[in-house]
Amino acid sequence: METVNAARRLRSVRAETDTTTDPAELLDLAGRGSEEAFGSFYDLTSQLVYGIVLRVLRDPAMAEEVTQEVYVELWQLAPRFDPARGSARSWTATVAHRRAVDRVRSEQARRAREEADSHRAARAADSVVEEVLDELDRSRVRTALDELSDPQREAVTLAYYGGHSYREVAALLRIPEGTVKTRIRDGLIRLRDDLGVAP
Amino acid sequence: MSDDLHHLAAAYALDALDPDERQAFESHYPSCEICTREVLEFRETAAALAGGVATSPPPELRAGVMEQIGRTRQLSPLPSTPVVDIAPRRRRIRPLLLGAAAAAVLFVVGGVLGMLAGNSDGEGVDDVLAAPDAIITQLDGESGEMQLVWSPDRQQVALFASDMAEPPPDQTYQLWFLLPEGVVSAGTFEPGEDGTVRTLLDVGDVDGDGWGVTVEPDGGLDQPTGELVLSTTA
Repeated sequence: METVNAARRLRSVRAETDTTTDPAELLDLAGRGSEEAFGSFYDLTSQLVYGIVLRVLRDPAMAEEVTQEVYVELWQLAPRFDPARGSARSWTATVAHRRAVDRVRSEQARRAREEADSHRAARAADSVVEEVLDELDRSRVRTALDELSDPQREAVTLAYYGGHSYREVAALLRIPEGTVKTRIRDGLIRLRDDLGVAP
Repeated sequence: MSDDLHHLAAAYALDALDPDERQAFESHYPSCEICTREVLEFRETAAALAGGVATSPPPELRAGVMEQIGRTRQLSPLPSTPVVDIAPRRRRIRPLLLGAAAAAVLFVVGGVLGMLAGNSDGEGVDDVLAAPDAIITQLDGESGEMQLVWSPDRQQVALFASDMAEPPPDQTYQLWFLLPEGVVSAGTFEPGEDGTVRTLLDVGDVDGDGWGVTVEPDGGLDQPTGELVLSTTA
């Protein structure tokens, strides 16, 4: 009886997988065990995931490794994805960024990164900001970041793209932690309004 | 404390908190309506920032991912408290009615655990085991595994486990019945000193789709707040 049910369920999942390109629906199907749906979900989201992981880690080999970990985690968590608690994209980006940040803050990676940084003649904080802005070029995100005050843009960029905690940002910029918290908050509120993203 | 916590949603959504603050905020925000909304919104904003640096991964990565998920087990769905839209992902418990095979399983489960338990502390437990409508379900999770035998006619559940950790001080395990319209408490229980669970719970006249166990303050709560340590998987 179980086998029959499982087969029937799988057939209906397959039919649905063929007809949807909505990441939330694909996650829902993946959450019911469909590897095929998860493959389509990967195709829709892997640029998002790999992009942010690479941005934070700056090392392609490590970024590949972490991207793989991210997808294994997404696969495990898929049955618990709840569309009422945010979009599939934001859920995916959250897991990806968190993994990348956890990796970068682990002691070993930190040492490697610091070494790399010193090789690049003590890359200054503003070069991270420059680099990100170059990469964003004339995208919608760049336009929204341009609307922030310089200090807000710097704090948000170092925290999110640089993978730094607000304490680290404060130390990098030699300003009080409370100031960084405020800049991050004000900056993100403005971005939220400009980018017009609603959950 | 919460004054300060209220202002951490943005830094939290950017993963810019230190581990201790992250933890403090995570135990605060789900119960705070404003913070929950901010976290949701800021996460969408953060995802847009991530979208700005989207980059194609090397093509061979896909095969590696698919290969790895092929041998990775998924977590069981959470017993979600919100009534919203959990229907598509719910699974029905498939009743194992007392055919010969089920009877044999029951015999083994009852026998082995009965021996582990040593002194059988309630005929009620045995009555549930012997009930003609008994349904056996296994719960798995970070607390190991537990056998659950449910008799809808008797409106009782018997729980069996052999190696369960003691709950933290002033806390207890609580069993939840997952219903189409939400989650209902099925009572609290604690393992004996040797980690054995052999407990009878009166669960009332309910019908639902699965079971979950969380750790909650002594006496139990109306709705789960703790992490899901055991649940039905299929």
